[in-house]
Amino acid sequence: MTAMDDREAARRRVEHLLLELPHQEQIRPADGEVAFQTAWEIRAFALGVAAHQSGQYDWPQFQQALIAAIRSWEDAGTGEEWRYYDRWLEALQTLLAERGVLDPAALDERTRAVLRTPRNAHHQRARREPVAVDAARIDRSPPVP
Amino acid sequence: MSTVESPETPLPIPRPVQRSEEEIAARVKALEALMIERGIMTTDAVDRLAEIYENEVGPHLGAKVVAKAWTDPAFKERLLADASAACAELGIGGMQGEDMIAVENTDTVHHVIVCTLCSCYPWPVLGLPPKWYKAPPYRSRVVRAPREVLRDDFQLDIPESVEIRVWDSSAELRYFVLPQRPAGTADLSEEELAQLVTRDSLIGVGEPLHPGSSRR
Repeated sequence: MTAMDDREAARRRVEHLLLELPHQEQIRPADGEVAFQTAWEIRAFALGVAAHQSGQYDWPQFQQALIAAIRSWEDAGTGEEWRYYDRWLEALQTLLAERGVLDPAALDERTRAVLRTPRNAHHQRARREPVAVDAARIDRSPPVP
Repeated sequence: MSTVESPETPLPIPRPVQRSEEEIAARVKALEALMIERGIMTTDAVDRLAEIYENEVGPHLGAKVVAKAWTDPAFKERLLADASAACAELGIGGMQGEDMIAVENTDTVHHVIVCTLCSCYPWPVLGLPPKWYKAPPYRSRVVRAPREVLRDDFQLDIPESVEIRVWDSSAELRYFVLPQRPAGTADLSEEELAQLVTRDSLIGVGEPLHPGSSRR
């Protein structure tokens, strides 16, 4: 199937990039473990690769930014829990800000807007009944529980 | 780095040492929106990259929950009574205020989940929603004609003797399916059982794998 082949090819290209990065054990954990714990991690990951692929920075620049972000986290010793993709996101933001394509204040403002949105969104009400039921079409007359 | 605040900025968000999951997720979303607006990348490009790895997040956690429910009746009871609490027992949790409900498939009832308005999804157990879950055709059609959608789009033939119930996930309450344990699995360990649980079976658009068959 070509869609599958395309995905395989895309994966190989990305894997090639990942080999350059520090903390390989975080990127490619042992068998049975997954590389991503949450949905935002994979999104942040994809953003970092997409920005590179669209020419915002060379991959070694990202590699250096990530190494620097990890080092400053280590040096700060705040006791903050170690999470690879926290540092990944920091490296990405720093790099994009340095390149002048991201205004940190604008990002803060937009983040606040996103956080406000769910409160006004229309899909807050919990629905505790099925939204649709397609009844059995053959009555097998199961015993009434 | 500058700390310029725009004049209309409301109260600043307090900055705890560790940002909440909710804030980080919002920050990533905001970053993506800004980069797309600037024309630096397209949603499609990001989607394509994320899809490469979509099976490496999440569904394994849902699989773990299901395999435990299959082997531990007391856990199953707790899961059906309060899925958020039962998942928390296994260290699986999401953002604050997010309730999860597990609905159990039986010989007479088959459950399917959808988010009719957007893409609400129990990501702590299921990881990333697949693209079709977010797409309008699935969201509208599975409500109107669930039996046909399962058969035509997912090659899942639900016997006519089985009722189908469709559940609408919202930001407040997210559903996932507890599929039926496949036959011939009496000898399997919990870990082996978890290998049989697919993402699609947790959404209700597929069945768990049978022992010996391989993952797609």
